[in-house]
Amino acid sequence: MTSRSIPGDWHCGAIPENVDIMPGAHVETSYSFLLFRSRRANGLRLGTNASAYGRCMFDMGPEACFSTGDYTLLNGIWLICDNRVSIGDYCLLSWNVVIMDSYRASKDCRNRRAMLRRFADTRNPDAFSGHAASPVTIGNNVWIGFDCCVLPGTTIGDGAIIGARSVVSGQVPANSLFAGNPARFIRWIIPNEIKQENSCGE
Amino acid sequence: MEHSAPHNKQMSASWDGGTPPNTVYLGEGTVVNGQQAFKRIVSELPDALVIGKQCTLDGVQFSIGAGAKIRIGDCCCVTGAILMAEMSIVIGCFVLIGWNTAIADSDFHPIAPAERIADAMACSPAGKHMVRPAVARAAVVIEDDVWIGPNCTILKGVRIGRGAWIGPGSVVTRDVAAESQVWGNPAREVERI
Repeated sequence: MTSRSIPGDWHCGAIPENVDIMPGAHVETSYSFLLFRSRRANGLRLGTNASAYGRCMFDMGPEACFSTGDYTLLNGIWLICDNRVSIGDYCLLSWNVVIMDSYRASKDCRNRRAMLRRFADTRNPDAFSGHAASPVTIGNNVWIGFDCCVLPGTTIGDGAIIGARSVVSGQVPANSLFAGNPARFIRWIIPNEIKQENSCGE
Repeated sequence: MEHSAPHNKQMSASWDGGTPPNTVYLGEGTVVNGQQAFKRIVSELPDALVIGKQCTLDGVQFSIGAGAKIRIGDCCCVTGAILMAEMSIVIGCFVLIGWNTAIADSDFHPIAPAERIADAMACSPAGKHMVRPAVARAAVVIEDDVWIGPNCTILKGVRIGRGAWIGPGSVVTRDVAAESQVWGNPAREVERI
């Protein structure tokens, strides 16, 4: 247990056994695993030099798998995962970004009432499981602005940017800028455009 | 929407911050987690905040101004939301509110520029004896069986009808019909459930 604890952690807890933290990767606090219930062998993987800062929350069901590639930075995101969420290398995810592969609720309010009654009686979070889940896939070098929601079944291509407070669903092509609620295509991101702008001034 | 009578105070209800303030009533079996939950209750009403039975509130913050009140029914689940009442927020039973959602029954400051200058002065460290200009406020009502996703914003004067579905990230500025589904900013009806 002690070998899985985090030095200087303000929360009294440990990193679960089925969480792989690659060399150089950093998790700020074990609080992030408060709602982690995955029983999968590789429930969660943080790639080399990846990081989970602030109050990231890995709210994961028994069958859930979450992984990030290398150098990906999670800054206080809220993950709701019952199936699979995967993020590539060099991604930047800002504060209060919600990524969900399941709504964990029926659209039929009668079923929701039964679910809430079950939870009230048992206080077992399994009461919220068993709903449809569609995997979320985020490519490499994706930047997601603060307060965004990434909805179940979303795929975001390499190099894309999602503007702050957007709500994204469906397919976001590589190297595109999406923003808005609902998020829509704004423009393409021309590779190396920043480099070109800088060189113009010199 | 029926709400528990205030006299069943703290019967097997619990808050990890200790004993709730006198103006807060928690129904039987209700669990509140989070030290910040009741820090911003200014309302002097003896029943400023009444929460029904068997609710679960994790990391929720209540901000209740003078003379304002908040009511929550039974079997609700609220995670990491902030509820800001300057007048009244009434929530029914079996309501689920997602993480980082904000609900407010006022805009907190006046719209007219001159009044906003007066408000800024009254809110400043020099404004102790100044009277703040009146601010528009309108009660928020969220009926039974409503589902509100994470990162939503529910603004003043809104009534959300029974069984409605508020998609994640929505900004709700108008009434939502019962059993309808709304999404977006501003939230628009997508389809009947």
